[in-house]
Amino acid sequence: MLLRHIATASTLLIMGASVAGPALGEPSITLGASVQETGPTANTGRYYRDGYEFAVQRINERGGVRVGTTPYKLALKIYDNQSEVNLSVRQYTQLLTQDKVDLLLGPFASDFALADSSVAEKYEVPMIEGGGASDQIFSRGYRYIFGTLPVASRYFESTVQALGKLDPVPKTVSLLFADDAFDVAVAKGTRERLQAAGLTILQDERYSSNTTDFTSLISQLKASAPDVVLVAGHETEALNFIRQAKSLAFSPKFYAFTVGVPTADFRRALGNDANYAFGMTSWLPSPQWKDDYFTNAEVFAADYRKKYGYDPDYHAASAVADVEAFAKAIEAAGSVDPKKVRDAIAQVDFESLYGRIQFNPAGQINLPQTVIQVDGGNVVPIYGQKGFLAKPHYPMPAWDKRP
Amino acid sequence: MSLLLQVTANGILLGGLYALMALGLGLVWGVLNIVNLAHGAFIMLGAYAAFYLYTLLQIDPFVALPVCMLALFCLGFLLQRYVLNLIVRAPMFNTLLITFGFDVVLTYLAQIAFSADFRAVNPVYAGANFAVAGVTLPLVRVLAFGAALLLTTALWLLLARTRLGRAIRACAQNLLAARLYGVQPRTIYALTFGLGAALAGAAGDLYGVVSQFNPYIGNSLTAKSFAICVIGGLDSPVGVIIGGLFLGLLESLTALYVGPTYTDVASFGVLVLILIVRPTGLLGRTA
Repeated sequence: MLLRHIATASTLLIMGASVAGPALGEPSITLGASVQETGPTANTGRYYRDGYEFAVQRINERGGVRVGTTPYKLALKIYDNQSEVNLSVRQYTQLLTQDKVDLLLGPFASDFALADSSVAEKYEVPMIEGGGASDQIFSRGYRYIFGTLPVASRYFESTVQALGKLDPVPKTVSLLFADDAFDVAVAKGTRERLQAAGLTILQDERYSSNTTDFTSLISQLKASAPDVVLVAGHETEALNFIRQAKSLAFSPKFYAFTVGVPTADFRRALGNDANYAFGMTSWLPSPQWKDDYFTNAEVFAADYRKKYGYDPDYHAASAVADVEAFAKAIEAAGSVDPKKVRDAIAQVDFESLYGRIQFNPAGQINLPQTVIQVDGGNVVPIYGQKGFLAKPHYPMPAWDKRP
Repeated sequence: MSLLLQVTANGILLGGLYALMALGLGLVWGVLNIVNLAHGAFIMLGAYAAFYLYTLLQIDPFVALPVCMLALFCLGFLLQRYVLNLIVRAPMFNTLLITFGFDVVLTYLAQIAFSADFRAVNPVYAGANFAVAGVTLPLVRVLAFGAALLLTTALWLLLARTRLGRAIRACAQNLLAARLYGVQPRTIYALTFGLGAALAGAAGDLYGVVSQFNPYIGNSLTAKSFAICVIGGLDSPVGVIIGGLFLGLLESLTALYVGPTYTDVASFGVLVLILIVRPTGLLGRTA
């Protein structure tokens, strides 16, 4: 009996809810989210929790959200889904049915967004998510899901464009991708682009998510010697790939990863081994992106660093963009009614620290990726929409010949 | 042809790493009949110990090996002596439950203490390699393989030739007779569990150099070690080496000839096959 009580209590504790927001009595709008605070993807999940919290706090400081003539404060209710998709689906259902939140913010990762968006669609409450880029999320005809990560199938678009402009022009490429929703979508789009660009695809290999051992794959790559290696995978996989490539003395002329490179702890874990790696980001802490609440992206990055003790990357900026999109949509709709807010989100168009927030008819944002390269531990923007921004270090020297 | 050689070499070295990880689990399971579901968490803690010794005190991970082993030995000894001992003669399910509890507690304490950031131990030679007959061999994996062989031999000698080893085996074979001969089961069990944890700590130390880690790597490592122990058999530490090598080779060759998505299918498929055809493992004696 006692054990049962302990079990129930600890389950509730582990599910954990954190609430941020206004004092009782003030009119408020509650945003609900189920985020990875613990579990294998907590490393990236925390950017979303902190980004949502920061945005809600800052918007409240600047007067909150106006519905008609009444100022409302934003409140946040976050559950920890322990990096488990099934739990996050249950938690979103709970947020809507029991906690009766007004609107939903999304989780990290396409696999989660894919499942959780179905809850939003079923209950007809709009969800804006900043963590899932897979085209699959937006190709089901859902009306209540919006995403602020650029389309997965176009992740490598800028990279492939840049490849065509390098000297010497690379001719062969190997594509590796993990078998989760995001990476499969990336690979599908990248394959077509590579073929259109005239590159020969030597390997097109799908590997298990969370693979820790790439030695077999790397040995195969070494034997076929492609000029370019593109890896669509998550942070752990990119980390393991680079470390094992070094230990097997495999060094193509160019390698790029969909995730990891812009993130500070990825570069810290690798140290100098991170140099020469290419990646992409939809956001840079540049003063050119002005924001109504955070001044601009550069100031935001500094404030975030001061408050949370680590540098934000595009995940955090995307999370902030989600909250701001809700604020703008609610004000435009003049109401908190989910259907009216949903229609307002579809029409939203404003500049923010994350860039221009505007959703296409399927619900996804339209942002280009900037190709970046690691140089001396720093992220250098290499290629953007208008062409080269800096000279890339290409071709990559062999491991034993690196300075 | 040389690709096959390279992949085979990769498989053998991977197998050595796997065997090192599974050694502690095999000892504790074979002798104490405790399936330690927190084994992966011990490996994870070993990796963090090596990480902090390296980043804070600049101690090389190979030099830190005895320190990690000692630290994990103490943890294992205390956990067995004061917690596991309470249920050591209870049904198997209870030990599974308690060690599962350890696993959850240790993982979440690690998340709180160390954060979920990915870490790696990055000594200067972490990426070093050398070529033999056209095959590139990563230095650290070769050293880990050597460490696995060394620790297995040491363990085998301990169990076969020393007084302590005889006491441990006596407790496993016939507890009543052992007690009549003056063996203290409580201490022996605690020492054995501590030893298993120390071996996990050694594996964790080297794992941190070879691969990146975070608080959540425990579960998949426990599953892998479990599979290796079943495949190799629990009667002797050599079984773990055979099981590890077998699994390492199988995964590498599957990745080459079938496809990288099928490695897990292959390894757990073989596990099921062994359980059906030869349940005591490749090296196990039939009862």
